[in-house]
Amino acid sequence: MKICRLPIALLTMFVLARPAAGEAPAPKDCLLEVIVTHQAYDAYTPWQKRRPGTRVGYGVVVREGQVITTEDVVRNHTLVELRRAATGEKIPATVEMLDNQVNLALLRISDPRAAADLKPLALAENDITRKTKVTILQFDETREIQRGEAEVVQINVADLPNAPYSSLTFNLLTDLNVKRQGAAVVHDDRLCGIMMGYSRGERIGYMLPYSVLRRFIDDVATPPYEGVPTAGFRWKALVDPAKRAYLGLEQDGMGVQVLSCVPETGAAEVLEPNDVVIEWAGHAIDNLGFYDDAEYGRMSLSHLVRGRGTPGKHVPVKVMRNGRPLDLKLRLANLSDRASLIPENVAGRRAEYLVEGGLILREVCGHYLRARGGDWKSKTDIRITNIYLTRRDRPEKPGDRIVVLAGVLPDDINIGCQGMRDQIVEAVNGQPVRNMDDVFRIKDADGFVERVKLRTIGVEMVLGRETLSDANERLAELYRLPSLRYQVPVERP
Amino acid sequence: MHSAGRPDSGGYRSAKRVLPLCLLLLGTLTVWSHAAGIRSMRKSVVKIYVTQQREDYALPWQSGSPRNGTGSGFVIEKKRILTNAHVVSNARFIQLQKDSNPRRYLARVAFIGHDCDLAILAPEDPAFFEDTTPIQFDDRLPRLNDEVTVLGYPMGGDRISLTKGVVSRVDYGVYSHSGLDQHLVLQTDAAINPGNSGGPVLMEGKVVGQAFQGLSRGENIGYAIPMPVIQHFLGDIADGKYHNYPELGAAVLDTRNTALRRHLNLPSESGGVVVYYVDPFGSAHGHLRDKDVLLAIDRHGIGEDGNIDLDGNTVNYAELIERKQWGDSVEFKVWRDGKEIAVTVPLKNPRDPFIYRNIYDERPRYVLSAGLLFSPLNREVLRTVGGVSDPNAHQLFYYSQYAKTDELYEGRDEFIVLTRHFPHPVNTYAASFRNGIVQKINGKTIRGLADVKRAFDKPQNGYHVIQFAGMEDTLVLDAAAARAATPEIHATYGVSAAEYLGETQ
Repeated sequence: MKICRLPIALLTMFVLARPAAGEAPAPKDCLLEVIVTHQAYDAYTPWQKRRPGTRVGYGVVVREGQVITTEDVVRNHTLVELRRAATGEKIPATVEMLDNQVNLALLRISDPRAAADLKPLALAENDITRKTKVTILQFDETREIQRGEAEVVQINVADLPNAPYSSLTFNLLTDLNVKRQGAAVVHDDRLCGIMMGYSRGERIGYMLPYSVLRRFIDDVATPPYEGVPTAGFRWKALVDPAKRAYLGLEQDGMGVQVLSCVPETGAAEVLEPNDVVIEWAGHAIDNLGFYDDAEYGRMSLSHLVRGRGTPGKHVPVKVMRNGRPLDLKLRLANLSDRASLIPENVAGRRAEYLVEGGLILREVCGHYLRARGGDWKSKTDIRITNIYLTRRDRPEKPGDRIVVLAGVLPDDINIGCQGMRDQIVEAVNGQPVRNMDDVFRIKDADGFVERVKLRTIGVEMVLGRETLSDANERLAELYRLPSLRYQVPVERP
Repeated sequence: MHSAGRPDSGGYRSAKRVLPLCLLLLGTLTVWSHAAGIRSMRKSVVKIYVTQQREDYALPWQSGSPRNGTGSGFVIEKKRILTNAHVVSNARFIQLQKDSNPRRYLARVAFIGHDCDLAILAPEDPAFFEDTTPIQFDDRLPRLNDEVTVLGYPMGGDRISLTKGVVSRVDYGVYSHSGLDQHLVLQTDAAINPGNSGGPVLMEGKVVGQAFQGLSRGENIGYAIPMPVIQHFLGDIADGKYHNYPELGAAVLDTRNTALRRHLNLPSESGGVVVYYVDPFGSAHGHLRDKDVLLAIDRHGIGEDGNIDLDGNTVNYAELIERKQWGDSVEFKVWRDGKEIAVTVPLKNPRDPFIYRNIYDERPRYVLSAGLLFSPLNREVLRTVGGVSDPNAHQLFYYSQYAKTDELYEGRDEFIVLTRHFPHPVNTYAASFRNGIVQKINGKTIRGLADVKRAFDKPQNGYHVIQFAGMEDTLVLDAAAARAATPEIHATYGVSAAEYLGETQ
């Protein structure tokens, strides 16, 4: 999906907000501009932050004092403010919950008095289908409400614009130049969804629909937040007649092939590679991975898993294994990104690191790799790129991650190591390390890190123990490190 | 042997300051005598007309289109013509032409060294040499700012061309013909253009190098192969065969870090570099090991930074190995396990299928089965891949760069790649497996290309099942349908031979 970052709008017509129909709030009372000051940690020098920036999107009041917007809009926020149509005052807000797996965030207006005359917009019911006419609401250049007509032209599962996850997405055909994420889409005075992108060339807008919003809002309202479920397996369409015959299947039959399972997931408990999933939660799965959804028609299996499933629940699954049908119960769960060998860290949360004698040790994550730009794959050591592309979510043992010597802050103590980057660390002080927890444990037990063993380099990098303390002080001052380590005390979701 | 040290720029500066008049006078004389020398050696600098035909790795049963090109060469002692390997690689037809002589003489390649981009040509007609004079070598390595003259037949005209400049750098550099090997190079600002390749670089009427490559994005940067490399090549072929440069195959770190020196229990003032990787296909394998500290090479003490003192010049210790021939030995003084020992490493150049140089003068090896083209992983295969984002290309790049260090080569004689498929209903679902490195076919582990052929002879329960490294999916073909489709695939795509396993298979 191609997503525009929605620059300054062209001159557009002024459209006055129409009067509220019945109980429905006027758009000016429920659509807000969301102004976010954001600041991410620097991927290379994880002890410092990048320059703050400002991002503007929209949010919609969905409950009293609560505003929904996309996670993209509030990512790495340091300050979130709201502004009503045709006003200049900013209303402070906080982020109550965000989830990059569904690209949604729920904001709470900090001062109840400021929220007093805002009115929630009710979510649409299950009456939005292909060809339904809807209205997109955003602000024009004078920050009055601007409307644009649109039509639902496709309902499918599509990749999120800035996260490696997919979601149920409604494609809207519209001539309105949708300027920012979070713009409201309404039908019969109800909220159909919020926009998360727009392709000007195709005149297609991408909307997160009401059902995804409702699930998220309800989930937040009933703690603990559970998120969307994952089954934990990769699959492939099974059209190839030779492959079907080899697997003992009928030529014109159903089902998709299980390629692999993510360790510690429900799939890993009951599925095996080369199983053929022919039925999921009572729905027949065709050989391209589609099923007939009662609400949306032909939909991808991934919607059945993520959109229709519930974390913690077991789902009935029928597979063909060695040519025979088998009924299974598969446990769904919200997959923690931290469980991966290379976590994505889409949100760019602060990375754990240790700087010892100028050697910067940290774990590899998707955020760290993508900080190199769109062509990060060719800018990264091919060994790490290859791990990411072939088995990033499959650690051999739970907790395994890729610890690297990310770089070296040159100093007298680390002569010989300078210039090294992206080298995989196998051992510290002679003890094997599987993740940064191991590195911190060894550092805390020994009081220092004096030897670092890098993969395929048969000689350890050695730091002088007796000069290490002085060197650390010197390096911290010289390179202005506020802290030589950062360790997350408790694992975050 | 000659000095291959880097120029002593300090000495040069003092000479320039003290003797400006002298230099001017000498310079004038040199120009005069140089002009006479140029006249006499014009007939010894030859234009080479070549018809080359590169192999077509996409359709390996046929060759690419023949292409004509020209280069330069020059007559040396023993009735030989020295040129660049890249001028006559993949040659089908070679002709020589002397300056101001319309006749073209047929020639053949007598010796070729792709790792040093040098070749010796032999004219079919001995009369070729009648009015030529071998151009003499000056084995000295030129110094910065030494004036040099380049002769040859570059683009822009038919007759001999002369350009002048100075030596602007003496360094190690990659020889682009092999794409991998590094040797000493002379950099000059004398114009070196396409067609100059193989021509002599002269200083005071003698050869100090051979023009061979340029830098497309730079200005006035041309490169020449200096005499130490040329002499190494000529010394190598003295026994009638070219063996390539021997490879030590040991990677080292310097020991300037005092903590590292203490960790290795190295005596202070001992110098030395520490081995951190020994190539299983290198000469050092079985002789040196990780953590060995190389203290001296052939009685030259190695400094903490890896440099040795050689003929009054400070050069990297590898320079001494550069001077060695295949079959020579190198004597190391090694610090191992807290003791000093002597280690002799016989230098060799074993066949290494896991190093990826450019390939010339070899027919592509392949097996085409059921319209699937299997080739050994090599530089030509890598060249067909656009970038790391191409499907499965990351595997190819990873295997090519980490074959040995990550021990991916264990149990393999070479890596076999499904380079492409020639679409037919029998293989139409194979596209997503392109660039995959084959692990097993029909349960048989694929060590090399011959295994592919053998494995396809034994389908599993009527199917060909192909597994690829790092891929979760397997490719399945109906064996009977594949066999039946083969004649049609061959006819459709003009396949003249289903395989070429090489001469040694």
